[in-house]
Amino acid sequence: MSTSASTPLSALARRLAPWLVPALILAVWQLAAQAGWLSTRILPAPLAVLSAGYELAASGELLTHLGASFKRAASGLLIGGGIGLLFGLLNGGFKVAETLFDTSLQMVRNVPHLALIPLVILWFGIGEEGKLFLVALGVFFPIYLNTFHGIRTVDPGLVEMGRSYGLSRWQLFRRVILPGALPSILVGVRFALGFMWLTLIVAETISSSSGIGYMAMNAREFLQTDVVVLAILLYALLGKLADVAARALERRWLAWNAAYAS
Amino acid sequence: MRFNHHENQYLSEVDARANQAVPAAAPSAAAPTAPAAEAGLATKVAGVAKRFGERPVLAGIDLAIAPGEFVAIVGRSGCGKSTLLRLLAGLDAPSAGAIALDGRPARGLHPDVRIMFQDARLLPWQTVLGNVTLGLAGPRREVDARARQALAEVGLADRADEWPARLSGGQRQRVALARALVHRPRLLLLDEPLGALDALTRIEMQRLIERLWQEHGFTAVLVTHDVAEAVALADRIVLIEDGQLALDTPVALPRPRERGEAGFAALEGRVLKRLMTVEALNPRNQIRGKVAEILLDPVLSEVRIDTLHGPVVAAISTRALRDHPLEVGAPVLAVFKSNDVALARLDQGDDERPLTEFFPIPSFIG
Repeated sequence: MSTSASTPLSALARRLAPWLVPALILAVWQLAAQAGWLSTRILPAPLAVLSAGYELAASGELLTHLGASFKRAASGLLIGGGIGLLFGLLNGGFKVAETLFDTSLQMVRNVPHLALIPLVILWFGIGEEGKLFLVALGVFFPIYLNTFHGIRTVDPGLVEMGRSYGLSRWQLFRRVILPGALPSILVGVRFALGFMWLTLIVAETISSSSGIGYMAMNAREFLQTDVVVLAILLYALLGKLADVAARALERRWLAWNAAYAS
Repeated sequence: MRFNHHENQYLSEVDARANQAVPAAAPSAAAPTAPAAEAGLATKVAGVAKRFGERPVLAGIDLAIAPGEFVAIVGRSGCGKSTLLRLLAGLDAPSAGAIALDGRPARGLHPDVRIMFQDARLLPWQTVLGNVTLGLAGPRREVDARARQALAEVGLADRADEWPARLSGGQRQRVALARALVHRPRLLLLDEPLGALDALTRIEMQRLIERLWQEHGFTAVLVTHDVAEAVALADRIVLIEDGQLALDTPVALPRPRERGEAGFAALEGRVLKRLMTVEALNPRNQIRGKVAEILLDPVLSEVRIDTLHGPVVAAISTRALRDHPLEVGAPVLAVFKSNDVALARLDQGDDERPLTEFFPIPSFIG
């Protein structure tokens, strides 16, 4: 091997290296399943999962379930995140609001929201409302806490400067306080996305007639392990996509910050 | 590398302008575009005191600043000079006394007053242009044009669209200066804005501030601990010690001022000496005594002093001793500052006014 040719080659190798172990595991898995060492009852072959995915996609069923899950996740995030942002801004910005609400919110925060499932079923039944409520509750706290923290840690020197340069209260909020809190708020959003999927998985397995969780539970009844594994992989993929979206927001909104500049 | 290039280019530009400004200074002061009397804000401080809890920071300051005057406030850190500036800016309210701007009592923030802080305090999430337009009202295009003009005045027109994080410390302070000037302030307050800059950038900034002050005619109050900076820029130097005015001296040197000139050095020395004298007046860190013995040495001599609290040995460079001779039996004042001690000769038999001829002799405890 000549040294001059190894430079682009080694660059390629460096990019592929992280994928070496996953590829190897997949190959061994496929081999074990084909040789009959691994019962399909325990774990189906990767190719079987792939073909199950293809079949479900072709029938349109996959898209329906994906759409249903996505809709629940997004509306839960919007409602819970919106309320969390509102309370974070309010309590971070006004001492009175903090005194009134923060203690109560901190108490509720310490209850694991999934422990409320029996109560939620009693309140809302097994329809959409209960699932939305759980997702909204799950995303509320990370966004609330990080918004509150972000507002509180805005450089007081900058606020003082803004005041002395004649900014109105709204301008001060819009141009100094909110952008200053934004890095922290976006950290909250990324945490919230994690909680969003977690809550959704649990909520959809309670009882539903659509969604990826429903698809997995249904497949379990018929011992379709390939569809169950497919559902798990879809959750992983959706989580990754949400993370990529959050990173894109950070790169766009925090372009001024050297830590986020691409 | 790129920044250095800009800095150098800019430095020579400033030099060129400063040189041009010499003959132009007189007519520009009388030019109809910037009549100093109207541009500057008359500022009057009457009996102003400030306490933080139990701790008094300012105790009865009286100071009248004429429109267009450049006043430098010097003093050691913690003497209350920055507090006075914050009161003038309306960021804090005085505990007693009153501040009047143009004869009207000032309460809180004033639209004609702008302050420049020691740290530039630029918003990192706004471009340089966005920072300069902060707080300006009006149509976007007009506001941007004014901001660009202000940036051009400080030599940063080509950096308008960059993030502040990409600028050097000196460039950030120039942006902060542009942000202050774009509001057309009639009183510009400068709170040690050059304290964190290197020596060369600092001199360059001083020239820029002087030139813009001459062009715009605003009243300027500069807080600094650098006496040379005060002498270079101010019409008048005010010294604050322990919350009170300790010195108020005019600077009668022609502009532009050169650091090497005899008058410059003499005034700087006088203010510095006074600064140290005032420090010596503080009874907490001084002992009176008599010289008991002088051990001469070609380089470092020793002076033994008998005090009420026991003997003190001060090591003094022989050169300093030659400049300010001491003899056995001479009454002296030993002033302590951390591990250093300064000796001062006291006039015999005149304990009430010993400090008129006060020469601190740099020395340390042996």
